[in-house]
Amino acid sequence: MRRFFDYYRQFEELAPDEVSRELRARRDEEKARAVTEQPALDLSSPAWHEPPHAEIVNAATFALRRAVNAYPDPEAGALAEALAARHAVEPSQIVAGHGAGELLRAGCQAILSGAGAGGEVAIAWPGWGPLPRLVHEAGGRPVPVALSRDGAGDPTALAAAAGPQTRAVALASPNDPTGGTVDAAAIRRLATDLPDGTWILLDAALADFDDVDLAPLTLELDRLLVFRSFSKARAMAGFRAGYAVGHLDDRELLARLAPTLGVSAPAQAGMAWATANEERHLPRRRTVAAEQRDRLAAALAGSALAFPTGTGPLVWLSSGAHTGAQIAAHLAARRIFVTPGTAWGDDRHVRIALRGQAATDRLTAALGDLAPRSR
Amino acid sequence: MPRNDPTDTGGLFIGRRPGTAPLRYRAAPTRASERRRRADAALAALVLVLETLLVLSVWGPQPVAWLWVGSQVDYRSGSISLALLLTFAGMLTTLMFTLGVASRMDRAWRILRRAAGHEQQEGVLPRIFGVTAIIVLVAFTFWFVILEGPAPSLAPR
Repeated sequence: MRRFFDYYRQFEELAPDEVSRELRARRDEEKARAVTEQPALDLSSPAWHEPPHAEIVNAATFALRRAVNAYPDPEAGALAEALAARHAVEPSQIVAGHGAGELLRAGCQAILSGAGAGGEVAIAWPGWGPLPRLVHEAGGRPVPVALSRDGAGDPTALAAAAGPQTRAVALASPNDPTGGTVDAAAIRRLATDLPDGTWILLDAALADFDDVDLAPLTLELDRLLVFRSFSKARAMAGFRAGYAVGHLDDRELLARLAPTLGVSAPAQAGMAWATANEERHLPRRRTVAAEQRDRLAAALAGSALAFPTGTGPLVWLSSGAHTGAQIAAHLAARRIFVTPGTAWGDDRHVRIALRGQAATDRLTAALGDLAPRSR
Repeated sequence: MPRNDPTDTGGLFIGRRPGTAPLRYRAAPTRASERRRRADAALAALVLVLETLLVLSVWGPQPVAWLWVGSQVDYRSGSISLALLLTFAGMLTTLMFTLGVASRMDRAWRILRRAAGHEQQEGVLPRIFGVTAIIVLVAFTFWFVILEGPAPSLAPR
């Protein structure tokens, strides 16, 4: 009989005060742990560490609630107009997509699909990590081309590397992972030096951290595709949102970059708000990234650690006395996680994504243990 | 730990809508065989019927019984006040007792439903009360206005 009742007793729910007691006990335990435990600091992701502006989330939520049953505007017309106004180009030069990475994938496939076997893409390297794989997947062969000393793509070296099989050259500004930037004159020079028919794929995912806007170059240079992202300075990585800008004569190729049924309505709404109101969120993040870059550089001055002067929150750190793996392991032992340079085939560097001042101070202290400053 | 402060989440309150939290048991229940679950479902249906009958008794049999008791008290004591007092006190007492029993039956019904494999969050007692009240009110109105009619009781037939 007891077993009979015990069977039914197991279906009794916990009383609300019992649930609260359990939750409070768990919270107390977490608090106690937080006092004694150093929280992990993840400096490996290039996505912005804070949430996006609240109005971006509001705009996306509103779009989602309004017509989640309907297909979004496949042309993303309102967004294209806002982006065109921002870059002083024509709306038809813009195509929205699921992030700069997906647009780059589509770009590689569109450019290499008609190239036959052996089409090459010269990539300023180290650059955006997944790009060589995307070129492979598109049937091409990635050809790494060394950066200039300041960590930026080298137009002269890229042009020199472009041979008869080269279909495109790819470079980033600011460059992930080094932060090096190129200016409009360098892109013009590259366009002039490249063989006819060679595309320039300019990954400008980190360009919101830079004052220079290279997208208007698409007004004068055909075969230039500029890829922009909302995942970095706009803090919208979860939206998977980005766009590409190309010359008016390249509309056919641009159309091939677009997702088949367009970008989701929340992503369109979020991007449109972020574009129309960028002065409300971009300047602060640009300042934070620049300040923390300067702060880290000042803290490391005189030590064996150094990184190229550049732009944006990504730092390509190396040491005269340690390998990248040693730096990463040293930081990991202090619960600071960075990306070892081996991800780019480089064993001397690590990539660090800067966050706020507290994170930089903790990083600086940890690096100080590894490479003390000389007096 | 997930962050749920609106300042951390871009202005959104992250959390469940009220009343949508899953049931929390002391430990994950061990489910019995399909046959046992079918038996539990049948038992739950039986409890529901009994519970409904019990609640229905609040609206008819119990007041009628106490009115009869009151009439007997009035007849034997000759005190209408005492009869009224006893009738209302009796009605309230049995109402409270019935509610206590019904609420226990409702708990048993919830447990049997869960044992039968349903995610039964709420009891059914308030709904039974509401539905039976409406049914009784409609039936009383029909009897009072249509069948009996107020006029014949005011004027001689």
